[in-house]
Amino acid sequence: MTRDELNAHRLIKEAHEANAQLHSRRHFLKESAMGLGALAMGSLLGGCGNLFSSPQTKIAYDPAHPLLPKSPPLVGKAKSVIYLHMAGAPSQLELFDFKPELMKMDGQDCPPSLLAGKKFAFITGVPKMLGPQAVFAKHGQSGALVSDNLPHFSTMVDDVTFLKAVKTDQFNHAPAQLLVHTGSPRLGRPSMGSWVTYGLGSENQNLPGYVVLTSGGSFPDAGKSVWGSGFLPSVYQGVQCRSEGDPVLFIKDPDGMNRDLRKASIEAINKANEQQYQEYNDPEILSRIAQYEMAYRMQISAPEVMNINDEPAYIHEMYGTQPGKACFANNVLLARKLVEKGVRYIQLFDWGWDAHGDSSNNSLNIGLKNKCRSIDRPITALLMDLKQRGLLEETLVVWGGEFGRTPMMENRNGIQNPFKGRDHHTEAFTIWMAGGGVKKGFTHGETDEIGYSAISGKVDAFDVQATILNQLGFDHEQFTYPFQGRPFRLTDVAGKVIREVVA
Amino acid sequence: MLEFFGRFHPVFVHLPIGILLLACICIVLSLKASFANLKPAISIMLLLGALSAIVSCITGYLLANGGDYDVNLVSNHQWMGISVAALSLVFWIIYNKIKAKGILGAVAVILTVLISITGHMGGSLTHGSDYLTAPLKESGLKGAAAIPAIPNVQEAFVYQNAIQPLFRNRCYSCHGSEKQKGKLRLDEEVYILKGGANGAALVKGKAEESELVKRILLPLNDEDHMAPKEKPQLTANEIALLKWWIKNGADFKKKFKNLPQTQEIKPVLAVLQNGEAANEEIKNTDIPEEEVSPVDEKVLKKFTDAGVTIIPVSQNTNYLSANFINVKSMGKEVLDLIKSADKQLLWLKLENKYVTDQTLAAIKDCKNLTRLNLNNTQVTDAGLVALKDLDQLQSLSLVGTKITARGINQLKKLQNLKYLYIYQTGINKADLAGIKKVLPKVTVDTGNYKIPILAQDTTVVKAP
Repeated sequence: MTRDELNAHRLIKEAHEANAQLHSRRHFLKESAMGLGALAMGSLLGGCGNLFSSPQTKIAYDPAHPLLPKSPPLVGKAKSVIYLHMAGAPSQLELFDFKPELMKMDGQDCPPSLLAGKKFAFITGVPKMLGPQAVFAKHGQSGALVSDNLPHFSTMVDDVTFLKAVKTDQFNHAPAQLLVHTGSPRLGRPSMGSWVTYGLGSENQNLPGYVVLTSGGSFPDAGKSVWGSGFLPSVYQGVQCRSEGDPVLFIKDPDGMNRDLRKASIEAINKANEQQYQEYNDPEILSRIAQYEMAYRMQISAPEVMNINDEPAYIHEMYGTQPGKACFANNVLLARKLVEKGVRYIQLFDWGWDAHGDSSNNSLNIGLKNKCRSIDRPITALLMDLKQRGLLEETLVVWGGEFGRTPMMENRNGIQNPFKGRDHHTEAFTIWMAGGGVKKGFTHGETDEIGYSAISGKVDAFDVQATILNQLGFDHEQFTYPFQGRPFRLTDVAGKVIREVVA
Repeated sequence: MLEFFGRFHPVFVHLPIGILLLACICIVLSLKASFANLKPAISIMLLLGALSAIVSCITGYLLANGGDYDVNLVSNHQWMGISVAALSLVFWIIYNKIKAKGILGAVAVILTVLISITGHMGGSLTHGSDYLTAPLKESGLKGAAAIPAIPNVQEAFVYQNAIQPLFRNRCYSCHGSEKQKGKLRLDEEVYILKGGANGAALVKGKAEESELVKRILLPLNDEDHMAPKEKPQLTANEIALLKWWIKNGADFKKKFKNLPQTQEIKPVLAVLQNGEAANEEIKNTDIPEEEVSPVDEKVLKKFTDAGVTIIPVSQNTNYLSANFINVKSMGKEVLDLIKSADKQLLWLKLENKYVTDQTLAAIKDCKNLTRLNLNNTQVTDAGLVALKDLDQLQSLSLVGTKITARGINQLKKLQNLKYLYIYQTGINKADLAGIKKVLPKVTVDTGNYKIPILAQDTTVVKAP
């Protein structure tokens, strides 16, 4: 055979092989779709009536303009969300859940009924009970109980809905944080902010739709996955901004690079990306182009929005900011500015709330009190400031941790901790919400007389997520994204909107 | 054990129905010469049909013994079933002896009729007597209220006018006169108080401990959840009403006005009173009831080109939300655009833009507007006149403008206004009473909140 013939022979062989590969199980299923489909139809029609009667919520995803504003399926009460997460899990028993009975048991051995069959992160053997380490009083017309750790916030209780019986099934920080924000204790699911920006886009095309602000100190244990986009297009992941120095690293053009040159270079990069897109048809490339363009616009818009220095002095005083530092108060003020600018979802993380009692910073009487002092003014100012600008109506503010803390005093390895502290607790903790169409001055859920477990109005992370989505105009059961052959939702197969708290 | 075999009845009954009907069809066909070759098969069909009918009768009898069915209906069904079995058995025995075509045909028709009636009765027992005809009756009333509206709720009887209709529409089909799942009947006072196989259904005065409420509140996926997952569920309002009734003693005689009315139950009663179905979620006042025609695509495009973020407020409406946040200049062409969507605009945000009294004149015909944000704009009292007829307005933000009380007083027609934000305006505390008089329903927020500085704001707790 000549070389040409050989080549031709090889080509034909390759073609046959390729063809044979197509005749796989997959191919069979594809080709016989009609017949198998008809077989499947019977069971589907009977078993999955919903599949036909209620179509999934349609989200028009345009990879070239991924952040275009979109209408929610239903009219939403809230247009934006500010989620204040106190990483480390604040003690509900020193803030909102007052238990006089627990005070009487202070110092006694924990009854065995509370320990049998239970697992704790650190408690071993028989710990002592620990009474509330704060003084409580009723506040406002609603008579909500708040401790003296939050004297300013306690003036705002008539604008707030408390969820006092939140449960979780994760007693370690990272999985519990992931559960709260992504609906799964394991890595890989999109965070709530990603879902929201995927569903609603952004009202402001010069800013990201989903901004994350951390208070300095340490990152949440769950890492950046807690604001990741999971299987959603990557453009929907949270954009972490800084409240100190440049809001986004390298946002300024370097010396010698002017705006025109920057523009020319971005255009050149985008052209190369477009070529690649023609070749591979990967929609992520279009997202990348959109991101470059957004970054170019953000160079102008972000420093302006992220700069809290032009706010008047009395606003700074109200929030208790510390200009030039990375701190919670600055971030809270920023959050208000971002809401004004049409950012959909603003996620704040504070740190250091893990009051085990193993050090003075991690104790209920020292560390926790100082943490409370650092957030009391800012959260109060945030609610007041949103209110007086007419923004609280359309902004849902959520405050919470990833789990609660035990009514028992922690005894690490069976030895009493040097300071007063509590271990991680999954059975009951408090989350509060305000604005965005939730009730004002309302409390949902109740714990038993020592605050160990929820006795009524139990909710979990999925219920909270379902409620947040509901306030934004989504039915959490219909809001899905196809991945790995099935529609996924934030709440997966669980969650119920907490109707009781919806105004 | 016997009951176990009884449970096969719903499966077995389909055999005699199918086989005997087929036999009857074949008999009628075989009367024609061209189908005469069917004859040898008919005899065996009749035998199989008769045998399966007998099995069905036996299993049916066992099921009826263990079940909670309406006695009369069961008895009729039973005798009809037995007659089907008997007739088919007799028919098999004499089939080869009958020569007259007329008789053969007549017996086949009689058997068919008997089977149909028996089958229908069986269906009524399992699914409820109105199962077959329900779709015809309900076609216009789908999702109708379980509790019909009560015009004068305080004078109405709690049980008779609310709880009983609720039970009737949500529970009777399994816990009524025809069927008593778990031995529970909810159609009469005595039965309700008697409870079911698992004891009392109600604990008077203790809603949370009542089995009835407990089961309703179980997660939807729980096997014991009521109503069953595939049936219509009780709504939050209906559950609240039921709990309230039990909590207050589950009295069958009292009127609404005789029971204590807590803050939680008041809105539920209001929903009952206002003729809205108790099972409907709180009426959506966010969108006007009357739908509008969509804005022309070209107009939308112009809006977008001008930098306006404009989208329908939700996917199922043509009413629009417009946010001017990215708009660079508020020229005349933008004002004309607003006019071209004046019926559709529901929410309008002009915050921080160069908005003057002339701009306001452009929105005077946006009659459906419910939310308007004019924060930090140049509008004055004179311009506010343009808003005087926007009577759907629910929320008006005028933060950081030169508006004074005189301007607000022009807005007395805005009787739907709920929120008015006037932080950093020319309105002072002394004007508030006047505003309240003009707009009684409005919540006025003058802002300017201050947070006192406490010692603990500036100090830290240190370790001893």
